[in-house]
Amino acid sequence: MSEPSAVTAAPVSPPVRVPALSEIFRALLEADFTVQLRNNRALLLSFALPLVVLFALFKSKFYAGLGDRDFRVAAALTLGMASIAILGYSMTVARDREKGVFQRLRVTPAPTWTIMTSRLLVQVVAILAMALLVLVAANLFESVSLTAGAYLLTSVCVIFSSALFLGVGQALAGLVKSADTLNAVGRIAYLPLFALGLFAHSTIFGTTFELISRWSPGGTVETLLTGAMNPSNWNSDTWLALAASAAYSVVFAGIGIRWFQWGAR
Amino acid sequence: MVPVNGVTPEAPPLSLALQVKDLRVSYGPKRAVDGVSLDINEGEIFGLLGPNGAGKTSTLSAIEGLLQPTSGTILIHQVDVRAHPALAKALIGVQLQSTSFQAELTISEIVKLYAGLYGVALTKPAIFDRLTEIHLGAEASRRFSQLSGGQQKRLALLIATVHDPPLVLLDEPTSGLDPQARRQLWDRIAGIRKSGRSILLTTHSMEEAQSVCDRVAIMDNGKILTVDTPAGLIEKHKTDPSVLAVARGQVTLEDVFIGLTGSELRE
Repeated sequence: MSEPSAVTAAPVSPPVRVPALSEIFRALLEADFTVQLRNNRALLLSFALPLVVLFALFKSKFYAGLGDRDFRVAAALTLGMASIAILGYSMTVARDREKGVFQRLRVTPAPTWTIMTSRLLVQVVAILAMALLVLVAANLFESVSLTAGAYLLTSVCVIFSSALFLGVGQALAGLVKSADTLNAVGRIAYLPLFALGLFAHSTIFGTTFELISRWSPGGTVETLLTGAMNPSNWNSDTWLALAASAAYSVVFAGIGIRWFQWGAR
Repeated sequence: MVPVNGVTPEAPPLSLALQVKDLRVSYGPKRAVDGVSLDINEGEIFGLLGPNGAGKTSTLSAIEGLLQPTSGTILIHQVDVRAHPALAKALIGVQLQSTSFQAELTISEIVKLYAGLYGVALTKPAIFDRLTEIHLGAEASRRFSQLSGGQQKRLALLIATVHDPPLVLLDEPTSGLDPQARRQLWDRIAGIRKSGRSILLTTHSMEEAQSVCDRVAIMDNGKILTVDTPAGLIEKHKTDPSVLAVARGQVTLEDVFIGLTGSELRE
């Protein structure tokens, strides 16, 4: 088909090589952490919102009916995780997809899984930092003290639970293509994912509602974290909450992986 | 020869930067690329011309690894794109039709990120030097969205070549630029070729094809209609009835283009 033509410059031997995974991860993580720290919306959702909710849950007598002190701290932690994953992570993914940021990254030698793994790792670190901040604030201002073992167990459970909400964020980004639509859907998703769980340890709306609330995504995470904050009270309900959280994580992550598209078109 | 898995296989000496054989790409029932074959020599600038929807970007996307071809073979410096995608991607530099980067990063951070993704460790002074070369040194701490269209294109070209790839793919690199910025970018493209690299670019501009490209292919409906040097294309098709029908005086490359692809509007 094509005819040979005069080569007008001295050819060069390709000097390139496939970069090591460590090099790729270093570059991606550095950029993704910078993006996270410069994103004011993400910072607000990560740190300010759960603290506001924590103090609100302790200041009003109405909220005391929702559950014991550990449960209310767990509710603030759950809200923080839901905010970071659903309103922060999924929105950033949808926005970058619309702008073509992912397509630009995909033409580099970086495997696609490293692009998303780096972003998820940054979110897990943000969630962990948020959890520590909320736990320290709960200790300082509301006298909710944890043993060293409880801090450790709670941190592990926070990392574990973050998979559920990041799975939800990934699923939303997979199912909803437009960033604007996702913004609206994410806010609506808050109701079943977080707000419903607030009544997981309360019968103020009846036992049926409590049962539904307890096994909602937010409810299972709140039950799990409440157990982790006081390991001596860890019981069969906590184990079931752990199992349910794992099941939710698998389902949401599966949806997110199955339907995710790198390009907006 | 490029080492694959640490082994340098026996192969003929390099002469072709890119070989595409019988490439087909479909979007559901629609065939966007229909049996495209083309060879690009080392050190050559090859232009892909075609109206909107001709299949230029789909062809490029398949070479870049963004699209999975239905069938066909793509070899970049003898490396099969499907068999060794990471190595193939390391051999190319890409400027997409519409480029965007993370909004929160400064342009020096963007350069550092993309250099890192190719395993090129650049220090801050080295990044500044590269930005200064394209007259963006003073903008190093600005965000991509704060740059003008011409500056964005220059940065995108810098990032496409940050790892000194032997083959550079440019998808409409000068679209939307004013004449001064376009000329500047042509100089930069010529500069890339002077260093011995090969370039495959798509364009709607006949002037660009004539000024920059060694050879040009005209593409429509997913097929390559003709390939030659710009002057060769005019010579080859200047007596075609379809070309003469649209020519206004001496036959130009644009007359050949319209004669071969038709006059109707494309969306």
